[in-house]
Amino acid sequence: METSFALTGKGYVIVASDTTAARSIVKMKTDEDKIKVVSPHLLMSYSGEPGDTIQFAEYVERNLRLFHIRNNYSLRPSAAASWIRRSLAQSLRSRKPYSVNLMLGGYDVTIDSPHLYWIDYLGTMTEVPFGAHGYGSYFALSLLDRYHDPEATLQEGLATLKRCIDEVAKRLVVSPGKYKVKVVDKDGAREIEL
Amino acid sequence: MSRRYDSRTTIFSPEGRLYQIEYAMEAISHAGTVLGVLAKDGVVLAAEKKVTGKLLDLSGAKEGGYGGSGEKIFLLNSNVIGGVAGLTADANSLINYARSAAQQHLLQYNEDIPVELLAQRLCDMKQGYTQYGGLRPFGVSLLYAGFDQQHQFQLYHSDPSGNYSGWKATCIGANNGTAQSLLKQEYKDDIEVKAAISLVLKTMSKTMDSTTLGSEKLEFAVITLDPETNLPKAKIYKPDEIDELLQAEGLSKKEDDNAMKS
Amino acid sequence: MSRSYDRALTVFSPDGHLFQVEYALEAVRKGTCAVGVRGKDVVVLGVEKKSVLQLQDPRTVRKVAMLDDHICLAFAGLTADGRVLIDKARIECQSHRLTVEDPVTVEYITRHIAGIQQRYTQSGGVRPFGISTLIVGFDPNDTKPYLYMTEPSGIYSAWKANAIGRSSKTVREFLEKNHKDDLSREESIKLAVKSLLEVVQTGAKNIEISVMESYGKITNLDLAQIEAIVSEIEKEKEAEAERKRSRLAATAAGQASMTSRAAEGTSGQ
Repeated sequence: METSFALTGKGYVIVASDTTAARSIVKMKTDEDKIKVVSPHLLMSYSGEPGDTIQFAEYVERNLRLFHIRNNYSLRPSAAASWIRRSLAQSLRSRKPYSVNLMLGGYDVTIDSPHLYWIDYLGTMTEVPFGAHGYGSYFALSLLDRYHDPEATLQEGLATLKRCIDEVAKRLVVSPGKYKVKVVDKDGAREIEL
Repeated sequence: MSRRYDSRTTIFSPEGRLYQIEYAMEAISHAGTVLGVLAKDGVVLAAEKKVTGKLLDLSGAKEGGYGGSGEKIFLLNSNVIGGVAGLTADANSLINYARSAAQQHLLQYNEDIPVELLAQRLCDMKQGYTQYGGLRPFGVSLLYAGFDQQHQFQLYHSDPSGNYSGWKATCIGANNGTAQSLLKQEYKDDIEVKAAISLVLKTMSKTMDSTTLGSEKLEFAVITLDPETNLPKAKIYKPDEIDELLQAEGLSKKEDDNAMKS
Repeated sequence: MSRSYDRALTVFSPDGHLFQVEYALEAVRKGTCAVGVRGKDVVVLGVEKKSVLQLQDPRTVRKVAMLDDHICLAFAGLTADGRVLIDKARIECQSHRLTVEDPVTVEYITRHIAGIQQRYTQSGGVRPFGISTLIVGFDPNDTKPYLYMTEPSGIYSAWKANAIGRSSKTVREFLEKNHKDDLSREESIKLAVKSLLEVVQTGAKNIEISVMESYGKITNLDLAQIEAIVSEIEKEKEAEAERKRSRLAATAAGQASMTSRAAEGTSGQ
């Protein structure tokens, strides 16, 4: 079952997503990367209808890149999130809407602060200190509520993330085996081995 | 025969020139002066109004208000003010376009439009009018004074061809050459708004055709950061505020008369 | 109506000219000069830039534009036209990546740009773009640099080195004389600067140089670096002139001694 978590900390955002690509009850592969680095300081995790997800993520990536090349700087996370939400909301009202859930973690270099946005396929968007999508969210949100600390160091943040992953592994009937974890901070985005 | 290449806009002359654009620029060089100065903590704009007749009823515009008196200086968005020189009717439609472009950006990105992007949007439109069928170029130059997170305070100038460039201090309209050289002498890189205001008024008083400065001939605006909210705050001065300012700077009518006598 | 051949673009004149296209080229010839030089595994763009006025923001007066990570463009002609065309090209670069996942090749984007320029010479009610462009870059998964040129007519062509804009003919002739195959990075930069100096009298401060060394690796030289190259070139020129002068002096001395000897000969007879 698809699951993704994200949480902010002191000067960073961690985004984690499972790596399973499944069809019906069959696992097709377990090394799918569902977190895209859409601009130098912006991570986007996506889940939902396979195909839709990649199509939409690439569309976002190219448009943000176009903005960067045109203006020689990237959209700020807040502006990018608004644009992405709007694209989803427009798509929802079209003949064939994208069915994609997103989490957008970014670092705003102009005001030096991390931001996390939770967006679902209906075009709902909220800025959150932590968030989750998928079945894992039923277990993780309460944990995050208890353990999240906006002033936590990266090490502490990763420990909190580990708690969520462990809990999901323990309780969920069909829990995903592997996760990919990426972090964005003032130096940009990078992958982290848990 | 001499009018072969200048009667229609969208064509090149044999020397590769676009006469209509050059003529439009010529028209602007006779229009009321607009002057802008970029300071460390704000941008100052001033414009010369041409009074068309003694019986012109200005009572409607007297109060000024947030959008200005509607002749030379306009609020384009909460973070950008624009000053126009050229054909007023053309300017009105450009202002309208700028305002809706700014709102479109707000709708799409939920943030105020970056100043350079707004200038670019207008320039793309202006350029289109020099290339597509049967249209004449806009006879308007603009100064954009504004603030955004990326480049902080900025001042841009755009002309009828669709070119734009950023400036620390510049001037368009009548006598812009004199004003430019005055600015070049007086401008300092770390100037602050207060000094910029005096610099603008001083330069305006030297370049305007009339000998006296007064609110009936001058429009004035400043954009700064609101110290409380840290958001850009545009202030377009009302006529009595302008008179007050001139008084404080010692450039108002009476003192000017005294200066003339002495 | 005989005079309207140069108005409606879609019409040929009786002797087969498309006047507006030719006039657009005139607009290009008025623009600032730009040169491109292709070396062995490097490609250099050099442009003449107008002096940035004292109160102007230099960030907003740039003549070399990035189209994508691996492609740069310089143009000569009407700046506003250039901006609009560059924007169209940038959109195509990203759109191409979106549809076929690969970045554009240099030839592809050149052809696309030239295609746009051609359309503006044929469709109704528009004038051509008053710009020529130089496009440089590397293809994905390739180490060979490319240099292309497009013109207002929509013609495009590949070059080892070329120039557009003001006095481009002089510069091109200079390049023809001095370009060799397989130039190194330093040689390519030097050739670009040297050729620009043919038309730019004011030296380093009015020259902008962008160097692309491999896929996505672009560096813009700063003023000090360009100044160093310019002074090196000037020194070479001086040395060359010095050598010429001494050679001339030597031959003159030789001739003088010959004539004096001849004179002696005659006097001896």
